This record gives sequence, structure tokens and C-alpha cells, in this order.
Amino acid sequence: MIEVSHVTKDFVMPKKYPGLRGAIKGLFSNEKTVKRAVDDISFQIGQGEIVGYIGSNGAGKSTTIKIMTGILSPSDGTCFVAGIDPNRRRKENAQNIGVVFGQRTQLWWDLPLSESFTILKEIYNVSDQAYREQMEFLNQVLELSAFFDKPVRTLSLGQRMRADLGAALLHNPKVLYLDEPTIGLDLVVKDNIRRAIREINEKYKTTVVLTTHDIGDIEELCSRIIIIDEGKKIYDGSLEALKDTYGTKRTLSLEVKQIQKASGFSPAEILGVREEECITELDFENSLLKITFDGHKLQAPQILSTVMNEIEITDIQLKETELAEIVKEIYRHGTEGE
Amino acid sequence: MMRMKCRRYLRLYRVIISQFFKIILQSRVDFFMGLFGFFFSQILGIAFLYLVFEQIPSLQGWTLDQLIFIYGFAQIPRGIDHLFTDNIWMVAWRFVVNGEFDRYMLRPMNILFQIISEKLQPDALGELLVGILLVTRSMIKGIVITDALHTVLFFVSILAGALIYTSIKTFFAALAFWLKVSGPFLQVAYETANFAKYPTEIYAKGIRFMITWVIPFAFVAYLPASFFLKAGGSPVVIGMECGIAAVFCCIAYFVFERGTHVYESAGN
Repeated sequence: MIEVSHVTKDFVMPKKYPGLRGAIKGLFSNEKTVKRAVDDISFQIGQGEIVGYIGSNGAGKSTTIKIMTGILSPSDGTCFVAGIDPNRRRKENAQNIGVVFGQRTQLWWDLPLSESFTILKEIYNVSDQAYREQMEFLNQVLELSAFFDKPVRTLSLGQRMRADLGAALLHNPKVLYLDEPTIGLDLVVKDNIRRAIREINEKYKTTVVLTTHDIGDIEELCSRIIIIDEGKKIYDGSLEALKDTYGTKRTLSLEVKQIQKASGFSPAEILGVREEECITELDFENSLLKITFDGHKLQAPQILSTVMNEIEITDIQLKETELAEIVKEIYRHGTEGE
Repeated sequence: MMRMKCRRYLRLYRVIISQFFKIILQSRVDFFMGLFGFFFSQILGIAFLYLVFEQIPSLQGWTLDQLIFIYGFAQIPRGIDHLFTDNIWMVAWRFVVNGEFDRYMLRPMNILFQIISEKLQPDALGELLVGILLVTRSMIKGIVITDALHTVLFFVSILAGALIYTSIKTFFAALAFWLKVSGPFLQVAYETANFAKYPTEIYAKGIRFMITWVIPFAFVAYLPASFFLKAGGSPVVIGMECGIAAVFCCIAYFVFERGTHVYESAGN
């Protein structure tokens, strides 16, 4: 459905110098600085996939989305969405896609939502029957009817996001781009939005590309993720594989009766592994013994029995490394590679 | 195919503009204030003409009545352009620099059409009203030629003039795609139109050359107006006006179209 190959995007900016003198100098100098926002990125996305496109701020996520939607033209490389080059055939591409930018509404600010939909119906040439059917479906998943007659500017953030999502889906697009669709929303609304995205994907096999900083979005929606950092693609694969490669660290948190007994206790030594593969931390205040270990090398029961031989335990908790931390880890590696 | 497209765009224009009216009618006070303000500034313009003529009874051979016709005639194409395409200013000042332009890029419609159809500028009714009043006055006084040819060319000239205005506006607004904000340039270009409300002979050569051939506002106002005033004038001047309108239209649209491809949007 989406084919991106070797796409690069450079932004050329006039060189800036500091201070007032610098500003004057900049006025007369012709020097330019080139910022490479996206650097030789390639990927393919099939129909019906939900792909999370993640990266830190300024990594080039939005730029890639804007190239795929036809807003920006790539400096190099090619991009095809449903067989159409969005930059050359903008209008045809626009008919195939729906876009939601979390931080900026596409709706008419002063108009009641119902009127916005009336205009969009005309713009996308939706037939009366298709309109009725689609509105019924959207109403059911997004519950638009509660605020359908209110002007967009009076809607709460959560309502506005539902309205924007509905507006992007009115013409039943093949591809849906969501740029931070859950930013600033509370948990209940986030949940609603995610459920709606899932239902739309299931019903119409809509391809969804979403960028987000919310790891919850990814865990609940995406079967595949693409991570970019400083304009380069650094990971492309399933969520499970990512967790398997990076998320092997697990933490065993043990509440012990007498924390003093635990000082000097080293399970790594007893189990015969390297120190960094089984790290012990003590929390005297809460009487906690935290053991972080490599999931490939050690098993939790192994460690547990080692500890219980020596120390009396009152409570146990086992934690997997969270995706957020994995992503952080990857960013670190990504920048180290530079 | 072409006809269907036209019909679709006309229908769209109706739908979008009628929404705009709903908003405008909600803020009636703004509407009348705008109208009043423009009418007032028009009256000042005419008062200025009277003041000048109290000192000088004729200006390069033009009488006060004739000057009033030129002045009034100049308001009509300006008013038409102002009424229908005022939203283009926003491209120059805001849409490009803050990334609001994204929205237009995402819809399956001609971009310039989307921008124009989003707004009507009721302030322009002040200009149109004054223009029509002054032209009517001149007709009553019998100083304008009103045979069939001149009447037809009158309407042709007004349309071509409005088109020149819109083209110049579009061209300078499109510079925003390269400069981010092109409002100041557009402002200067647009203000030079004020020179053409008076006979161009009164200006220094440089200015006269500029408003005739560089930013050809003389072809929108003074030159065609004098065709309607003086017997024996050649209709070629209206032909040239139409030619200029066509050429400028193409250039402006081409630059705008190129601009949408270099558009850089804005970061979040």
C-alpha cells in the first residue's frame, strides 16, 4: 500500500549568526546550512497493517508523514501510496488518504461540526448513501452525536480529536495517517480513540500509520513498529521481536523481613554469572531487595531459591522491562553509533 | 469531464461560501463596522481630490469631474478583487509560516480555489458602492461615452482589471513559499495601485513606467478610464489590458503552483 524507497529530505536554511551584528551579517551573507531531516529511509507497508512510527522529537517522524501525505516533496528518493506519487498527483492521493494531526485541527474552527461534515462531504464527493452509512458507523464508534451541532471551537480536546478522526474517515480512505492522535488526552478518551482505530482497521482493512510518544498506543494498536532517529531508520519489525532483542532485562523485587541481612549478599557470585548480568540493589527504607537480571541467562525461580536460602522474604514482584525503556535504550544506541 | 468539474467546483463554492455567511451573520456588528470604515475612507479620498482642485482648477488637462470618474472607475475592479479573493493575503502573512497551509494540501481540490472560496470580504462593498456611485454620477453628467462598444468594453475592462489585481496579489503571496512571510512585499505592491487612481502624467517618469509596465495598475484604472472619457480613443488599450490580465494570471498561477512544491510546512 505504501512504498517508501531511499527518501531523503533536506531543509535549506540561511546561516544564522549570534547577536545583532550577526543578524546584520546574516542579511548580507549567502551562506546556507542544510539540515537533513530524513536520511535515506525505505520501508513498505501492506494493506491493513497498523504501523507505529516512533522516534524522539525532531527525529523526522512528521517530515516523513508529510512526504507520504503530499505536503512536502522529498529531496531524493521515491514514495508511492496506493500506486500514486503523492507529490506529483496530490489531488488523487488526497482522495485516498485521511490525516489527523493531533496538535492542529483540520476542521473549520467557527462552524458547527455538522456543517464541517457537510463541506467535507462535498469536497470528497461522497454520495448521499455512502455518507449516511459512514456517519452511522462513525457515530457508533466515535459517539459524535453528543456534540454534532456545537461549533468546533467549543469542543473539549477529546471531543475535538474524535471529531477530527471522524472527519478524516468520512470518505473511507485507504490509508489513515495519525500524527500523535492521543496527545494530551485522558485515559478514558485515549482508550476510546484506540478502540475506534482498531474497529475501523478491522472493518475496512484501512492501513494505519501512526506516530506517537505514547507507548500505550503502540502496545495496544501496532503489530509492527518503525523507529527512526536523527532521520535514519534504526528499527523495523514486530513489537515482540523488539522486546526479545532489547527487553531481556527483568527485575525481581523482593520485600524482605530484615534488610540488614541482605547487605553483602551477591546472587551473581553464587550463580556463577558476571556482575552486570545480575545486579543487586538495596532499598533500606522500604526493605526492598531489587535484582535485575538478563532473561536469556537466568530464570526467576533460580534466583528466587538462591535468595530464599539466605533471607526471609515477605513479598515478591517480577517486572518486565517496559517498552518505554527499551525505546530509550535504542535511542541511546542510535546516537552512540554516530 | 471539464463541464462536470466546473459544476462540481461551483457547487463547492456555494456550499463553502454559504457557511461563511452563517459565521458573518453571527457577528453583524463587525460586518457593519467594516462597511462603514471603508465607506469613510472613500469619502476622505474624494474630499482630498476636492481640496487639491480648490488650488489647481485643472490637472494636466483633466477636469475635476473627469478625475472623479477615474477615481470611481478604479474602485470597481479593486472592489471586486477585494470582495472575492481577500483570503490570499493570509497566505502571505500566516498560512505558510505557521503551517496552516498543510490543510489545503491535504484536500483533493485545487489549492487556490480552496483559499479563495473560504472567505468573502464585506469591507469591499464600501469600495464597490463608492465606485458605482461615482461612475453613475459621471454618466448623469454626460462626460462618459456610453455607446454599445464602450458599454461592453466597460464590463470587459472591469473583469480584466479585477483579474490583474488578483494575479498580482497571488504572485506576491506565493513568494511566501520561499520567504515564509511575504506580507510586506505584497503590501507595497498593492499600495502602488493607489497611484493609478490619478492620471499617471502627474508622476515622475520612473513611477509612471513602473505602474504601467512593471506592476501594471495603470492598466486597471487610469488608462481604460481615459478610454471611456475621451472620444476617439483606441479600444486597443482595453485589448492590452486583457492581454496583461491573461499573461499575469498565467505567471502568478505558475509561481503559486511551483511554490506549493517547495512549501516546507512547519514543525510542531
